[in-house]
Amino acid sequence: MAKVTLTVNGEARTASVSPETTLLRLLREEFGLTGSKLGCDVGDCGACTVMVDGKSVNSCLMLAVQADGRDVVTIEGLATMERLHPLQQLFEDKGSLQCGFCGPGIIISAKALLDENPDPTEEEIRDALAGNLCRCTGYSKMIEAVRAVARAGRDERTAGSVA
Amino acid sequence: MKAFEVVVARNSRHAVALLAERVPTAKVKVIAGGTDLMADLKFAPSSHAPDVVVDISRADDLRHISMTDAGLSIGALVTHTEIMRSPVIRDLFPALLDAAHTIGAVQTRNLGTLGGNLVTAVPSVDSGPTLVALDARVTLLSPAGQRAMPLADFFVGPRKTALKPDELLVDILIPRENLGKPACFLKFGLRKGQALALVNVAASFWVDWDRNVFVAPRIALGAVAPKVIHASSAQAYLEGRAIEPAAMAEAGRLAVGDAKPINDFRASAEYRRDLIAVLSRRALEGAYALAQSKRSGKVAGGLQASRRGER
Ligand SMILES: Cc1cc2nc3c(=O)[nH]c(=O)nc-3n(C[C@H](O)[C@H](O)[C@H](O)COP(=O)(O)OP(=O)(O)OC[C@H]3O[C@@H](n4cnc5c(N)ncnc54)[C@H](O)[C@@H]3O)c2cc1C
Repeated sequence: MAKVTLTVNGEARTASVSPETTLLRLLREEFGLTGSKLGCDVGDCGACTVMVDGKSVNSCLMLAVQADGRDVVTIEGLATMERLHPLQQLFEDKGSLQCGFCGPGIIISAKALLDENPDPTEEEIRDALAGNLCRCTGYSKMIEAVRAVARAGRDERTAGSVA
Repeated sequence: MKAFEVVVARNSRHAVALLAERVPTAKVKVIAGGTDLMADLKFAPSSHAPDVVVDISRADDLRHISMTDAGLSIGALVTHTEIMRSPVIRDLFPALLDAAHTIGAVQTRNLGTLGGNLVTAVPSVDSGPTLVALDARVTLLSPAGQRAMPLADFFVGPRKTALKPDELLVDILIPRENLGKPACFLKFGLRKGQALALVNVAASFWVDWDRNVFVAPRIALGAVAPKVIHASSAQAYLEGRAIEPAAMAEAGRLAVGDAKPINDFRASAEYRRDLIAVLSRRALEGAYALAQSKRSGKVAGGLQASRRGER
């Protein structure tokens, strides 16, 4: 067994896992964080996307031991009891998801994009979401939602600089 | 997935020591980003599955992009995302940045490394053509020491390289004489995102501006032979020839004869042959456009980058 200590959504967590365990299994089965989904299990679908040290990765392709000492953010780390994350709120407002299975991965990919590039072009949004497959709704309303979050951020920054 | 042991290497020397220790008695695999290996392991028959996995993802000495006396040195652990963001690579070899950008999607590029891409050595390996066109060399490290060879010889066949079980790919070098050599990479897949190449091509040459002729022309083709190949007859045809559209088109036609494309579920051999001619010509045009813009002192972002910008 291998001992793994990492930060998950701001909290230090430790687990003892067999070495071939993926980060996705660690999150879902040891920590009960079932927001990240097991889809294709080979990196094509993006349903398992989480952030590791600020970068989006497919957690089905990473060994849990490779995440030892790293900082992991999953969909569970975005909302507080009082408030959804702006991306979650706008995905809801715009009806961007139907069955929702791809949602956690898509929202994490969008967050990774906006963290680095708060005002992306539509092309950049499409590029950032290319590794996340949705089989229900299509992508237009998701892209709209991400654009709306970026626009709100821009308005806030402008208001901030005026005030 | 079959159970295995994981040993973590602190640096490249440690990784090689671990390989030396374990390879004689166990089935050992190296893991870097894991984007190829993990998918393979999940489907591998247990007879092929490793007993020991050496994790090199923390070997930070393999993470550099640096200028040395010998040329531009890229560590095997550099990710595709890091290549896309490297100012040196953007400046000297925008084609490498374009190639990295076509690999998988953001998540794959964040984990996937240049070394892993080259060692996997699928015929469609997207980092392959540009580096082969730039005469890149690879350095392999083992307990016995280092050896270096042209990347073109490192590739042996589909998923086969010259790497021995106790060797680590540590470095990819673009030789000094090719620094800034204009190059262009083009990939044709069935979709824009997450698609493997039906054909990928890189072209590179120097321009003798006094005579306006091709100097040291290279065309490298991927996905149309068991490994990345030089389009040798096209290269020979272009050497010293006047740079004009007809010559580029003829080189494209000759490149078709240098390749052995196959029929598969993605495309027919005939379709691939058409693609080779067209993409080779366009890659030559792209490299020439870059040569001209470099000469007039403009900063260029590569053909695909500038096309993306136009949309
Ligand atoms: C969804 C998806 C899409 C993809 N799309 C593309 C694409 O469009 N184009 C493309 O070219 N590839 C693509 N790939 C393949 C893959 O992402 C790349 O080949 C990647 O660069 C592999 O690097 P890695 O670090 O993840 O390798 P790993 O999976 O860690 O290793 C791959 C192989 O190389 C060996 N290895 C790794 N590093 C070393 C080293 N330094 N020394 C010795 N051996 C080593 C490993 O033992 C293993 O056999 C895709 C993969 C996925 C999952």
